[in-house]
Amino acid sequence: MNSIIRPITDSIITNHCVGEMISISGNIYTGRDAVLPKIVTLINEGKLEELGISLYGGVIFHTAVSPAGVGPTSSNKYEIESTIPILSRAGVKLHIGKGAISKETIAALDKYNSVYAITPPVTALLGSKILSEKVIAFPELGMEAFHLLEVKNFPIIIAAAHGKSIYDGK
Amino acid sequence: MMVNREGIIHKVKETLVTAGSTFSEDKKEAYRKAIAKEPPGTARWVLEKTLENALIAEKNRSPLCDDTGIPHLFFEVGPNKCVSGELIHTVHEGIIEGLRALPGRPMAIKGNDRQRIDQTGGLNIDPGALLPAPIMIKSIEEDVIRLHILLHGGGPEIRGKTYRVFHKHSLSVVIDEIITWANESTRQLGCSPVTIAIGIGRSHYEATSLMFEAMVNGNHNIQNDIEKEITERLNISKIGPLGLGGNATALGTFLKVGSQRASGVRIVSMRPCCSIEPRKASVIL
Repeated sequence: MNSIIRPITDSIITNHCVGEMISISGNIYTGRDAVLPKIVTLINEGKLEELGISLYGGVIFHTAVSPAGVGPTSSNKYEIESTIPILSRAGVKLHIGKGAISKETIAALDKYNSVYAITPPVTALLGSKILSEKVIAFPELGMEAFHLLEVKNFPIIIAAAHGKSIYDGK
Repeated sequence: MMVNREGIIHKVKETLVTAGSTFSEDKKEAYRKAIAKEPPGTARWVLEKTLENALIAEKNRSPLCDDTGIPHLFFEVGPNKCVSGELIHTVHEGIIEGLRALPGRPMAIKGNDRQRIDQTGGLNIDPGALLPAPIMIKSIEEDVIRLHILLHGGGPEIRGKTYRVFHKHSLSVVIDEIITWANESTRQLGCSPVTIAIGIGRSHYEATSLMFEAMVNGNHNIQNDIEKEITERLNISKIGPLGLGGNATALGTFLKVGSQRASGVRIVSMRPCCSIEPRKASVIL
């Protein structure tokens, strides 16, 4: 299995295609319905860097971080999917979640040379790959706060890249 | 009858943790068979990772999924046994301890009726604050009190359906309708392969209760003709694991048919249990 280590460069993204089963290591952010729109607001207001957050070459995993662990939520929920183009423009190279996303979002990913990956709901397995976790922003959201995880060999499948989707024709 | 409070709390706690962290042997076997049938590729990769996840969760006694689910309790009560208010209260104490030990995801919404609906009352961060669903009780021949604990995740609840089917005096009409529902819901669920749980009764309450009982007693290795037909027809869809295509859309079907009304209608309750469900474990109290 191929692996990616953060930060992710444009050339790394160019070399990956739909259907590849890879692993990712390094620091990844987490967020879902509650916090991602707030991150987008910070981007639009130019205030993200004030919080010490750099999305360049980054990864965002669509999950909560609770005592039970982590697991992908459906990325096609409006509050999540609508943030993917803006986060990609801001430098996020890999979005990890679950489920099919729209053609418009796939086109936006291609435009900003970013990709979308999925991972199964395998909380115990993913938990065994997490080295550390901490809250980065919006702690009042509890398990839905913006977290940073350090992971090693997180398993993912590239599901949308370069204008194509793994769900095409299914 | 005196209740051995400490003993029951411990048993219930451990049973809940087992339900949230362990695949039954028949489910493991179903996964192994599905992996053997799937050619190399993303579908088999998902099946392998799901089984690997189950083995890690069982070893660590940690959650199979971060949506640790809502506890649902089913009592089987023998002829000379009784379930007292004290026993139910003690079982609830065990549920609280089990949710804290698993640990469950904090999911109890605080506040009054309005606040619990629109979620403006905030979240109780104690996993043990999550109240179980109303209890179901059934008499059995065996002279024991057996408690089954099931943990119902949110995805299957979104995709489940209880509705009337006009049967036109034909079993195939009812099965065709179930297949239509199962196909649509599994495609939308995302977390496949599924196990389809079905109850068929005279009222919505009864059909849902029968569907719950089907989940309690269902076994992937013991499938009747109707269950096999539903599974095989759903697998023709090739929705596959995580909707990625492949042979394993459904691992099995758990069906319970109850008494039926003398009329042209059957009430059918269907729940597409996700790839890690039904999460269940039982204990004799």
